[in-house]
Amino acid sequence: MITFDEQLELFKLIGKDLNNKVTCFAIGGNAMMFYGAKEETKDIDLVFLNKKDLEEVKKVLYNSGFEDKKDLIKIFRHHEVIEKENMPVMMVMKEERIDLFVKGVITFEISDTIDKRVKETHEFDNLIVKVVSPEDIILMKSATERKKDKIDALSLIEKFNINWDIIVEESINQTKLERELFPVFLYDFLTELKEDLKADIPKEVINKVRDIGKAMMIKRLKKGK
Amino acid sequence: MELYKIAKKLEGLQTVSTIAKTLDINRRTAINYAWKLRKNGFLTTNYGRRKIRLYRISLLNKKRNGYSLYELINENSRVKIAVREDFIIHSDRKPSVEEVLVRGIATERFRIVLASLGLFNKIRNWPELKLLADKCHISRKVGALYDVSRKMMKVRKMDDRTRNAILKNKKGREYIIENLKTDDFKDIEELWGVYVPFNRADLEAYKE
Repeated sequence: MITFDEQLELFKLIGKDLNNKVTCFAIGGNAMMFYGAKEETKDIDLVFLNKKDLEEVKKVLYNSGFEDKKDLIKIFRHHEVIEKENMPVMMVMKEERIDLFVKGVITFEISDTIDKRVKETHEFDNLIVKVVSPEDIILMKSATERKKDKIDALSLIEKFNINWDIIVEESINQTKLERELFPVFLYDFLTELKEDLKADIPKEVINKVRDIGKAMMIKRLKKGK
Repeated sequence: MELYKIAKKLEGLQTVSTIAKTLDINRRTAINYAWKLRKNGFLTTNYGRRKIRLYRISLLNKKRNGYSLYELINENSRVKIAVREDFIIHSDRKPSVEEVLVRGIATERFRIVLASLGLFNKIRNWPELKLLADKCHISRKVGALYDVSRKMMKVRKMDDRTRNAILKNKKGREYIIENLKTDDFKDIEELWGVYVPFNRADLEAYKE
């Protein structure tokens, strides 16, 4: 497990070794640690806006003793829909794991609206880490298969006043970015959260996401995809 | 009402008046709630303009790390800012006033640039200011804003060497804040080749 202080040390190390400014988004449990909503995390998830930035950070991690892990891809829900060039990179060293993504997480893309909602930006020399909003952390958690991600999402719902309009609007926004399947996966995730973990999610939100997903599925069928 | 629920309801930036309004209670009870919330670690106090108490209420156990750019501006300027997002600098030493000023102007955001003007009074190392401004390619903007601040408040004198070095770089016209210009400081605009985004009324806060 990685604590908040260990995460800061790692970012400082990366930032010092980078030759150019690199911006990335903290999206998972590590983002929750920045908000003080979690004490430690199993992995650090970072999303880069281009492959070049990801490669630069990967190089720094190699030099720091991290290794590339190739057989962990199946931990992500819907991994079969990932395009080859957007495959996540996983780096491990002892107990620490860092997942690096380009542009988005599986079925979810980092959009301009997500960038605008960023609440905290941290500068570690040449590494700029933008911490996405709690609403966006929930949205991105829906791209994974792990039970602990559902528990994290539940914790966010309990600790923050989640603006559910953002969740609905962003799921529509994602369909415009050609991530048509996202609302379908999000619907599954929210339903499981509400039914299994008794999360306080308004029913109308789930219904709205269901309707968006349904419309997208019909559209895809008509297109013959 | 349970304290946890109250904290959740009031999450964010509040004053005594907004707490009273949100919970539909009188000011005295609102002050009592603020006291209870602080005692339980849900509330921290900052001071705004005219020493108004601003309460930041949160359910989260957030660890303080690094230096917040906006807090550093507030520490040094008479005009305070309250922003919904934060920019944290993680470095071994506390950023100097010169660095904070340059970073503030580089944000290209009206309120932040306005609040940053108050930092000119604390600048001691003008060559460092120029060096940092050059790195961000904003030295002329810094020069123009320095002249603006001189017109509205008491500011230390920039040494001639730094001033002349910045003036040498004059090329064309540029905006401090995109597409924003006023007619109040035409002389400064001409001298530095920079459009000033403020009018005299914007700077009244520094006169109070």
